Amino acid sequence: MDKSLHIILQKLIRNSAGRTRFILATTGLSVALFLLLMAVQIQANFHALLNSKNNQDSIANFLVINKVLTDANIGKTTLDDSMVNTIRSQKFTEAVGMLTTSRFKASIESKSNRFPFYTDIAFESAPSEFIDVANKEWNWNEQSPYIPIIIPNMFLDFYNFQFALSQDLPQLTPAIVKMIIFKITVYGPKGAIAMDGKIVGFSDRISSMLVPTEFMQWGNKHFATDSIQNASRLIIKTKDPGNPLLTNFLKENNLTTDADKTRFSKYRKVVDVVVAISGITGVLLLVFALLIFTLFIQLTITSCKEEISLLIILGISPNQLSTFLMRQFFPSNYWIVSIALLMVTICQFFAHHVLAYQQIFLPKFISAYTLGVALFLILLLWAVNKRTIKQFMYPDNLQQS
Amino acid sequence: MLALHQLIPIPLKNRLSKKESAVWNKTILFKKGEWIKITAPSGTGKTTFTNILYALRTDYEGSILLDEQNIKQLSSQALSDIRQEKMSIIFQDLKLFPQLTARENIELNRVLQKPYCDAKQIENMASDLGISGILDQAAGTCSYGEQQRICIIRALVQPFEWLIMDEPFSHLDQANKKIAANLISAACKARNAGLMITDLDDDNLFNYSRILYL
Repeated sequence: MDKSLHIILQKLIRNSAGRTRFILATTGLSVALFLLLMAVQIQANFHALLNSKNNQDSIANFLVINKVLTDANIGKTTLDDSMVNTIRSQKFTEAVGMLTTSRFKASIESKSNRFPFYTDIAFESAPSEFIDVANKEWNWNEQSPYIPIIIPNMFLDFYNFQFALSQDLPQLTPAIVKMIIFKITVYGPKGAIAMDGKIVGFSDRISSMLVPTEFMQWGNKHFATDSIQNASRLIIKTKDPGNPLLTNFLKENNLTTDADKTRFSKYRKVVDVVVAISGITGVLLLVFALLIFTLFIQLTITSCKEEISLLIILGISPNQLSTFLMRQFFPSNYWIVSIALLMVTICQFFAHHVLAYQQIFLPKFISAYTLGVALFLILLLWAVNKRTIKQFMYPDNLQQS
Repeated sequence: MLALHQLIPIPLKNRLSKKESAVWNKTILFKKGEWIKITAPSGTGKTTFTNILYALRTDYEGSILLDEQNIKQLSSQALSDIRQEKMSIIFQDLKLFPQLTARENIELNRVLQKPYCDAKQIENMASDLGISGILDQAAGTCSYGEQQRICIIRALVQPFEWLIMDEPFSHLDQANKKIAANLISAACKARNAGLMITDLDDDNLFNYSRILYL
């Protein structure tokens, strides 16, 4: 559009619908867009917390599940095939691994007099893909010089910070523990066999003494005192341990897991409520703000009815008029979205810094989803402006003089 | 080519059908570049005729074809194209924006489409018509005669194939009438355009090819 035509049209068609209405419409729209974009950003942050590498809690994505032990099911805690299949078929389940328990007696004792100890133990084995300790020593056959063992980190903590102190024994670092060779004795109907054992890693994921599956199969085959039973515990891999569906499923089926691992589920519900309130308020405000804006455009056009009539008589085209009116009304919408986006960016930046002190790592910048929604809102506002202008630019009384 | 077929305004139908007219209820063809005078006493529909020609009114029977297009059936866009490129008009009631200056009123018509002439032409024509001094004055504060001259210049700064004028000199003295007529003649010749002027009396301001009594 010619610059000089634009200047003349600006003189003729002023935003004469009132400053108060304009401020009201602008404020309403700004708040609405800010709330909407914040809702999207909060949701994006929560996903980032669950999935980003910094926050990813390797324990949290693997859950060991067993039945809740009650007076009623003592001795009957095995998980039957239908239950395993039901767990496998749930949306939140990515993979299921059975934990195999040793069905033979075993003991472990120290070979050193410096820290003598002896205890009966039981082992468990899990498919390798469920074990969080990557170790080339993690295999066994009958010719292996020792049995590799993974123990829970908390066992070592228990030893170092309670047992060693109370018994006046030396504290042991993980590196030293890995160098110690233990004596493992396996007892069966045909007698006992002593073998060497060595701790090759420490795990936070499964709270039992883990041995390779090959050793477990060999041990159960040669030393088991009872027949094969279904597993009592299994491990599942899940993307989102905080998924309320998962906690509900466990509760409904009388199953349990480490409550700490599903703690996100409670936060998730709170976040969902916050996001829902913010989102719904944003959408409602957006609808009202759009109505006010539409009314504002309508009032401006109506108040300049005579000027628009004469412009049409003189030959202004619908395109020229609509282009001019869009330039009058739309830029403010564009700025409102930009300012709302800037506010969300600032909030995100501060949240990133403040929460980093608490070891919660949020992205420094707003998510692509938030940007996408902002872009969508710009398009929506553009469409609403265009439609309103088209609707009111040529009302019957304006079309012909 | 401008063709009128059995044209009659509905509100004046009864009155006009009782009297003889060279235009109403007739089929007339105006060739491109023709200069036509339409003469009629007051109250016989001169303004109605120009408004119908300029597609401001649609309450008539019959049809008007401009280059074989029925102007009653044109879309808003097509109508604005005609008003920007093919038809220019000088209204009897002027139709100026009183809040704009004389220059802005004229400039608006110049830049509504790809400008036909440069802005300097406005100064030249204003000077010829003796209104240079009021170009930057709000049109609403100018005298009727000055406003009429602003309208004449406004109609001449755009491209056109037909110039329609409804008693364009009613408030001009003889000298200014002559100057205005010369400007209009030159503008029409430059564009090889036709003109159609309505007035109360006969005159020899233009070299008419036809004089019709409404």
